[in-house]
Amino acid sequence: MRYVSQRLLQFFVVFIVVTFIVMVATRIGSADPVRDLAGGAVSDQQIARVLNDYPYLDQSLFLQYPQWLLDFVTGNLGYSYTQSQSGLAMFQQRLPPTLFMGFWAIVIGLAIAVPVGVYSAYKRDGAFDRGASYTSFAFISMPPLVIAVALLFLVVTRTSLFPTVGGSSYIAPWDSPWGHFRNFFIPSLALGLGLAAVWSRFLRADMNLTLQSDFIMLAKAKGVSPARVLWRHALRSSVLSLITSVALQVSALIGGAVVVEQFFGPRGIGDRLVFAIQQNDILIIQAITAVLVVGVVLANLIVDLLYAVVDPRIRHARKLG
Amino acid sequence: MAGTGKAHLRDGDAVLRVEDLVMEFPVGRTGLKVNAVSGISLDVLRGETLGLVGESGCGKSTTGRSVMQLPRPTSGSVVFEGQELTALQGGAMREARTRMQMIFQDPISSLNPRRKVRDIVMEPLNIWKRGSSAERAKVVDAVLEDVGIDPQRAAESQPHQFSGGQCQRISIARSLVLDPTLIICDEPVSALDVSVQAQVINLLEELKARYGLTLVFIAHDLAVVKNVSDRVAVMYLGKICEVASSDDLYARPSHPYTKVLIDSIPVPDPMAELHHSDIVGEPPSPVLPPPGCRFNTRCPNADDLCRTDEPQLRDLGGGHFVACHHPLETPVSLTGTVSSN
Amino acid sequence: MSGLQTDARQSTGPLLEITDLKTHFATERGLVRAVDGVTFTLERGKALGVVGESGSGKTVLSRTIMGLLTARGVELSGSVRFAGQEILGLKAKEMRHIWGREMAMIFQDPMSSLNPLMKIGRQIVEPLQIHLDMPSDDAKATAVRLMKDVRIPEAERRLEQYPHELSGGMRQRIMIAIALACGPTMLFADEPTTALDVTVQAQILDLIGEQRRDRNMSVILVTHDLGVVAGHTDEIAVMYGGRLVEKAPTKTLFANMKMPYTKSLLRSIPKLDEPSHTRLATIPGRPPDLVNPPKGCRFAPRCAYARDRCHEEEPVLEVAEHPEHVYRCFYPVGSAEFEERDEQVKAELAREAAAVRAAADQAAADSAHGDVPLAAQLMHGKDI
Repeated sequence: MRYVSQRLLQFFVVFIVVTFIVMVATRIGSADPVRDLAGGAVSDQQIARVLNDYPYLDQSLFLQYPQWLLDFVTGNLGYSYTQSQSGLAMFQQRLPPTLFMGFWAIVIGLAIAVPVGVYSAYKRDGAFDRGASYTSFAFISMPPLVIAVALLFLVVTRTSLFPTVGGSSYIAPWDSPWGHFRNFFIPSLALGLGLAAVWSRFLRADMNLTLQSDFIMLAKAKGVSPARVLWRHALRSSVLSLITSVALQVSALIGGAVVVEQFFGPRGIGDRLVFAIQQNDILIIQAITAVLVVGVVLANLIVDLLYAVVDPRIRHARKLG
Repeated sequence: MAGTGKAHLRDGDAVLRVEDLVMEFPVGRTGLKVNAVSGISLDVLRGETLGLVGESGCGKSTTGRSVMQLPRPTSGSVVFEGQELTALQGGAMREARTRMQMIFQDPISSLNPRRKVRDIVMEPLNIWKRGSSAERAKVVDAVLEDVGIDPQRAAESQPHQFSGGQCQRISIARSLVLDPTLIICDEPVSALDVSVQAQVINLLEELKARYGLTLVFIAHDLAVVKNVSDRVAVMYLGKICEVASSDDLYARPSHPYTKVLIDSIPVPDPMAELHHSDIVGEPPSPVLPPPGCRFNTRCPNADDLCRTDEPQLRDLGGGHFVACHHPLETPVSLTGTVSSN
Repeated sequence: MSGLQTDARQSTGPLLEITDLKTHFATERGLVRAVDGVTFTLERGKALGVVGESGSGKTVLSRTIMGLLTARGVELSGSVRFAGQEILGLKAKEMRHIWGREMAMIFQDPMSSLNPLMKIGRQIVEPLQIHLDMPSDDAKATAVRLMKDVRIPEAERRLEQYPHELSGGMRQRIMIAIALACGPTMLFADEPTTALDVTVQAQILDLIGEQRRDRNMSVILVTHDLGVVAGHTDEIAVMYGGRLVEKAPTKTLFANMKMPYTKSLLRSIPKLDEPSHTRLATIPGRPPDLVNPPKGCRFAPRCAYARDRCHEEEPVLEVAEHPEHVYRCFYPVGSAEFEERDEQVKAELAREAAAVRAAADQAAADSAHGDVPLAAQLMHGKDI
């Protein structure tokens, strides 16, 4: 319990520090936030409307922040005057595509990384291991944009299955599974391949260490089949680095999503953030970054809990506080 | 066992005198604590080797470290060459540490893997700016010769190029260059092969004579401890059970635990009678040590007294002391008066 | 799988016959001859102690016999017949029916040898389900019975615990329970007590011996400790530099050691019945490099009794007075050549002991002048 409360405290500190920095940054980028929000060259009426909605906007930063924070936690996620859309509506529209893309990217990444990592370690220094090592190194060196371009020319333009550049749009899986797949497969793959490359290397390295340990030798000496040795005994002991890396990659994933969403679509939160920055739509910038921070921190929190699920020794140590 | 008391402390030229030493470590933030060392007293006379023996978790290594003030003990007094170490700060503490050195079980990991061996041995002299650089070189080469390492090779090689036994010689050399009074040896031979172990033990005996050293020798192997020590203290769960001269302790072990410990040693003689010891199980956790005598949970002779009252160290004569309510040998104070059993 | 099981339990003749067994590892430095031509047999129900220092090949020998060394770069030759059947070079797929079922192994470090992430119960049940196809409930009941056999208190509760919740001695008992689960005919115990305290060691060695007698199981006890094998084996094989250098029934070996290495090893152990500060006999140098083993007898470079011939020609295994006692030496303990040198060795030891005593007296008498170590002179501000 002490452990959980400690983590929650950390969570709030991180959240406050990051959102405050973002607020400062947006104000530096905007000489007259109220006018920018209202859309630039606009009437006094429009400016009055902004000030009526957000009267704290012409106060000092330190006075603004607590009021913004109160708005945020009570569900007022800002308003885009140029788009005539509330923050909440914006998230409802733009968050699902990005969440699905991130989710599928992680699924693809793990679906490739786990078998590749395990088999590479099992057949260490064999042909497969070497091939996987070169391939993963190539993918690690490629930014998501390059992978996206490669996918465009190698897959998209050669088949008529997938929408081309900028053509992917959001279709929920429950509306049309096939439509969802068509629109999400290529962008998720563009993100997932890079993840798979990083994760397979982490997993292979940990598996190599685990496979040399005495308890693996003992499992073998008990007559446990090689498959069971790998999947039941070795894999579980080797996933801690992988889990850590999944959490770390969540923030990298957001960076990748900005690029891929703009390249292929579907137009999710990353795309919207870029647009908001171009428009100096500071309330939306703040809301999106704040939600992203919450997302990254939550991912880390989940990973922390996963450690304890995987390793009883960590559970034990945490119980001691 | 598990007794306290200072009856065994002697008058005389004690290089080291430890009184009521307590070392506790918190267990996470549970509010519990590990009672690693719970009020022990020891003295080591000049030129003497004191053996500290006991099983893992008995506090023998912690005792060694807290003498060095690494870390400082929770309470108690450590007097080294007339100086109270627990009160020393900063420079004075560092200076005192040059006169007492420590060598460890794993010689390879206690040597910096990236440096040349000769530089490792030279380092203490450089830090303390002792002598000119030519003099330092002379001392280092002489000490390396004394421990049986070729100075030429030491100048060219890193620790991993030496075997485990040689690395232990190197760490002994490093501990000698500042001409210490006291060396605390913490399981110095337990990681070594039998034949190499004998070489290092012999070397320690030679160096002790040549350099006029006083030693505290911490080990779990009773036969090794007997060989190198003048006096031996047996520890159990943070307490001292028995203190005696090395030969006397083994000739007439008086604490049931000492007896068990000696009987458990596998003797390299198939005709020797196999002792099937009376005690079972393993020591209790030092987080919640049993009240009374700490050995009472495993002792074949324990009674109600042992479960409530902590025994004090009592004199058996001839410098032999035991902390037991029902010792296997009769204490001096009881001779001719009451029979304890 | 069933064919081999019945063989192991019912066939007559020795359980294990090892002939000219070699295990070589290809490394960057060259071929490491870890086990280099070892031959012996082991009868059913007997305990063989394999004794040697690090690098003697004792651990590699036991793992080779069990067929656990199959990695890239391992070269095996010779023969390992188990219950009359050749098993050297069998694929892991074929060995799996023997592992855990016929042959089991206990490792040195009970902490690293149990899967830290798997409950104790699962780890004991695993071989029962694999080899005996036991239904889950039966397997659990058997696990509890096994844990009681190895005297683990509160067995039922332990099923649900993880290794880190147990003490070192308890973990080693769990490992023994796992090894015994399917009633193996052959148990390899590789330094089973080295990581344990001495009072726990005695309990574990007794336990292994008791289970061996109850189950008529053969045991190979691998250790560096002559004390451990003395009380717990029927026969002893001494390994040095990848070779078997002496083998005999335990009592015969201790009563009549032939190999100077065995003798020197025994002498280098501190004894409880010797007065303290007894100078220990040592074996100079260290074990041979297994990539370039010395020509002649592998022990010759460290042997106080070696003569020219020992450096030129390697002795073969000779049979001693006792027909089951073999050794590999030209000038064995008891020979005139040995005794002649032994006088010198003992005299030298006595001289060294006297020198240490004299040095101690000297240091006590005048630490201020005389032959004071340079380090001390420097400390006292003397010019050196």
